[in-house]
Amino acid sequence: MAIKPFAHGNAVTVAEAVEALSASCRPLAGGTDLLAMMKADLTAPESLVNLKTIPELHEIGVVPDAETTKGLRIGAMVTLSQLAAHPAVQGRQELGRGSLTRSSMAVLHQAILRTASPQLRHMATLGGNLLQEPRCWYYRNELIPCWRKGGRLCYAYRGENKRHVILGGGPCYAVHPSDPAVALLAMDASLRIVGPAGERTMSLAEFYHPPDRETRTVTHLAIDELITEIRVPAPQAGTRGVYVKVAERAAWDFALAAVAIQAVMEGDTIRSCRVALGGVATIPWRASQVEEVLMGQASSPAPLSTAVIDRAVEAVVEDIRPLEHNGYKADLLQGVLREALDQLR
Amino acid sequence: MPTIKKTKVEYEGRVEEREVIVEEEYIEPWGADAELTVVGRPTPRVDGVPRVTGRARYTHDARWPDLLVGRFLRSPHPHARLVRIDSRRAEAMPGVWLVWHRDQPPPVERFEGRPLFTEELPYEGAEVAFLVAENERIAEDALAAIEVEYEELAFAHDLDDAMAEDAPPTLLDDESNLVDPEGDTYERGSVEQGLQDADVVVDLTFTTPRAAHCCLETHGSVARWEGDHLTVWHSTQGINRCKGSLADALDMPMDEIRVICEYVGGGFGSKFAAENYTVLAALASKATQHPVSALLDRREEHLVGGYRPSSRQRVRLGAKRDGTLTLIEHEAWIGTGAYGESGPIVGGPAKDLYASPNARTATWTVRANTDAHRAFRAPGYVEGTFALEGAMDALAEELDMDPLDLRLKNYTEQSPSRDTPYTDKRLREAYEIGAERMGWRSREERRATSGVWKRGWGMATQIWGGGGGPPAKAIVKLESDGTAEVLLGVQDLGTGTKTVLAQVAAEELGLPLDRVRVVIGDTQGTPYGPGSGGSVTLASTTPAVRNAVHDALRQLFGIAAYMLDMPDEAPDQFYTEQGEIVYRPDPTKRISFVQVAAKVGNYMFVGTGARGPNPDDAAINTFGAHFAEVEVNTRTGQVRVNKVVAVHDIGRVVNPLTATSQVIGGVNMALGYVLMEERVFNARTGLQLTANLEDYRLVTIADAPVVDVAFVDVADIQANSVGSKGLGEPPIIPLAAAVANAVADAIGVRITALPITPDRVLNALRAEREEQ
Ligand SMILES: Cc1cc2nc3c(=O)[nH]c(=O)nc-3n(C[C@H](O)[C@H](O)[C@H](O)COP(=O)(O)OP(=O)(O)OC[C@H]3O[C@@H](n4cnc5c(N)ncnc54)[C@H](O)[C@@H]3O)c2cc1C
Repeated sequence: MAIKPFAHGNAVTVAEAVEALSASCRPLAGGTDLLAMMKADLTAPESLVNLKTIPELHEIGVVPDAETTKGLRIGAMVTLSQLAAHPAVQGRQELGRGSLTRSSMAVLHQAILRTASPQLRHMATLGGNLLQEPRCWYYRNELIPCWRKGGRLCYAYRGENKRHVILGGGPCYAVHPSDPAVALLAMDASLRIVGPAGERTMSLAEFYHPPDRETRTVTHLAIDELITEIRVPAPQAGTRGVYVKVAERAAWDFALAAVAIQAVMEGDTIRSCRVALGGVATIPWRASQVEEVLMGQASSPAPLSTAVIDRAVEAVVEDIRPLEHNGYKADLLQGVLREALDQLR
Repeated sequence: MPTIKKTKVEYEGRVEEREVIVEEEYIEPWGADAELTVVGRPTPRVDGVPRVTGRARYTHDARWPDLLVGRFLRSPHPHARLVRIDSRRAEAMPGVWLVWHRDQPPPVERFEGRPLFTEELPYEGAEVAFLVAENERIAEDALAAIEVEYEELAFAHDLDDAMAEDAPPTLLDDESNLVDPEGDTYERGSVEQGLQDADVVVDLTFTTPRAAHCCLETHGSVARWEGDHLTVWHSTQGINRCKGSLADALDMPMDEIRVICEYVGGGFGSKFAAENYTVLAALASKATQHPVSALLDRREEHLVGGYRPSSRQRVRLGAKRDGTLTLIEHEAWIGTGAYGESGPIVGGPAKDLYASPNARTATWTVRANTDAHRAFRAPGYVEGTFALEGAMDALAEELDMDPLDLRLKNYTEQSPSRDTPYTDKRLREAYEIGAERMGWRSREERRATSGVWKRGWGMATQIWGGGGGPPAKAIVKLESDGTAEVLLGVQDLGTGTKTVLAQVAAEELGLPLDRVRVVIGDTQGTPYGPGSGGSVTLASTTPAVRNAVHDALRQLFGIAAYMLDMPDEAPDQFYTEQGEIVYRPDPTKRISFVQVAAKVGNYMFVGTGARGPNPDDAAINTFGAHFAEVEVNTRTGQVRVNKVVAVHDIGRVVNPLTATSQVIGGVNMALGYVLMEERVFNARTGLQLTANLEDYRLVTIADAPVVDVAFVDVADIQANSVGSKGLGEPPIIPLAAAVANAVADAIGVRITALPITPDRVLNALRAEREEQ
């Protein structure tokens, strides 16, 4: 299908872009999702405001002194390829006071390298990635008026739903497709958001909300707001992370299930940790029950004890509500968590 | 003197008898030990550079400034009646040239026995209207302006619900969803006898999904009318068949139609004849006096471009304790679309792969509300081999026998269904080479019993036709400068046809490869050639090339004899070598092509040749075996295929380079079939959910295994004068079974439904755990 005609303008500053935004004027980042949505006639903005021309959104670097926010700041327009190649993300550059090792940023690095394909990562920006639309095959089919698009019914609920959610579903059961978002949730990242009223900061954990009767979206971003920056706190000493994703195909495929773990070790003990799940819920999903099981457990250098792993694996499926064809995702999620805990060593 | 002779030709599992005119003198086949210098050497594709530099022109590249764009309005329902259609608004839009539909039909209203536009629309994507506009943008806006009212009808979307007791008819006038209630059956001996004689019986049911061809170049035609003459660029595997079907459809003389397809971006069986879009493009071009394109987009390709039909197959095998088969029984139900005809020969492997005194196959084809299936690379044999070879492994397990030994135990030296010998069969060598390269006999030493990734091995066998046969013709023109042009009415489907034709011509001419130019892909100026299907192209055409060269050389030798002052010497006293004609009894007496041509004054020698008949009372088949090593993650259900050893017996290998790439391609295409490809429909709406390349998953290079390719490579001199058989389809046949068998070996549970995705593996493992 050919794309419907639209106007296109370059913004040079964030303020200029924000000014332009409205329901019919949307921000264009890498375009890998937005243009595909337009091509499929799932959205038809009258105009696009190009963010590529705003220099500050491409910056990536270490947060200066402000005590509390030391860490990495990533401009929303930084591409996934640029991010994966950055010395800090590869664990080769100090981040403020924080102690940085390869393993402390590994969760993000691994998540990016398992995202899409090299070609897509060259175009896709981190900001766009966090805001991508679901890949659900009902949502993306222009002939099917699903609930998420304003219809009355979720076709997945009693349909072909092997790729759909097992956690927190309803009224929509579409999986949140992002890998980086899951890693960033485990890293306790936050977002800098700019709108007409000025600037605000929001943690990624607060940013996403499951769709509900009132809102068919999954974020707290207003129509006239931009994400300008993603902030990753400086890792504490002893931080190690891991991202494990399983898809049907070895590359260029979305997760059936994914697990991100960011743990802070004190000697052999897991002092604190954050665990996030992908491919199983309508938003990147924090698994606090698993965190509780793991916290305080001895890990390194020996692997976690079988009893602890078994408890964690029990905990990860505590709240699941599988649909007709995705019961296997419970086994899968447990399997992916086992792999992740194995690799955390 | 030409004579008429009957000959048998096998095509996609069916053996046809054809009458052919034999005008050739017999020429000696190249023996197994013939000293060949071009044939048999790894030869890069003669058209490789234009292909990879973008200079190759495909159908989608046929563009001119005055080209108009034809697009379809397609039904958005699995089954509907067209109640009302009004295209006036669309027609009034600037840039719209014409709109055709049921109430406003094109000048030719019917195609292939049906109206081009029907009231009943029995599948999603069925053609509602065809519109021609100045460009794509206008065409799409105009399509959206056509007002249509549909009455939705009950539908059946797959095999199971089309077979149900209370299934709605997929076509309103049909009494049954079965294409032929009798089915397609075959029997030798008797099932009762086979059961009686058996010590062990296994009985399994297998299912396979609809799998899409996913041609890189979507289906399409571009038509241009000049006076009474029609030229069509058609993305096709059969330029001559396209010409014939267009002449029929348009009621035109064949000499007014030219079909061009120099390059085709994949066909895999789905692109043989002219299609409704070809006819409409031609009619629209005539009506507008402009060239008109009708090219499907990716979504349309998935909706109406065809697929390998789905299947449910039941296999019952009976055997003695020592592994001797007493019974092979195969029953299958094939899922096609509303206008589908009988499905492929799914029972072919069951009939012919093993010696068993008792065998029965029965196949029924079932219609559902989708587009019709199309031939897809080794139709029926891919599905049938998956089931039969899966059952053979289950039997081997039951008998506690090595799967390879069970196959060797039931090896047959002659064709069980035709009861004739083979021209040649070297499957035993293929097994040996494959087992050796895979380390089959020592595999247990490499089995990882601990750990999460479980390793397993599986193998499977392939039988296919590929012997080819008449009719196929060739023309060779020897130019005065010692170069040659070879003309055939065939096309290169991507298999390397053009390159092997050049090799065979160069070999027979005694010229280096770069002095030979092959012209194919155009019906103008070339003699009749077959469609690229059934793996017949090479074995049908290369002998015709040898004959044509032979004919030209005979003329040349006559003149050379005269020039060498030995005018009475017979042509067979000469041979060619590097552009020179050499006198056999005294090789110092020689004269170059160029000298001969110069002396006779710019004379061109033209030779013609045709494919001779196949040998009487012998079956010509190709054979092969694939061995796979896989690892399965028992936690996540992921299947990783580490290595595939693929060994094929196709007679002489003309070009080891393109043959090897053909096998690697076939293995990877089959890998998608076994691990991830599936056309999925929504039961509630009947709509296809996988009409794109995201939800319809093809393998990526990251999924590809190491493929170790080998050939038995012994000329089959009974088969034809080149000694080669086809390789287009064989490499896709045994892989699914080999991988599925390896997965069963790895995890101890047999998964009988394709594709083997993580959910199926995890569900199978869970069922196994819960049983214990
Ligand atoms: C075949 C394929 C496979 C893929 N596989 C994966 C995968 O495995 N894992 C994965 O995580 N993703 C995957 N993706 C998704 C891909 O990563 C996203 O499409 C991409 O990250 C989006 O980034 P973009 O810059 O192209 O965004 P765009 O398409 O430009 O924008 C996406 C959305 O975000 C909005 N937007 C963009 N930037 C901002 C901003 N700064 N502020 C406010 N709004 C903004 C746009 O208006 C639009 O609504 C895949 C995509 C494809 C096509």
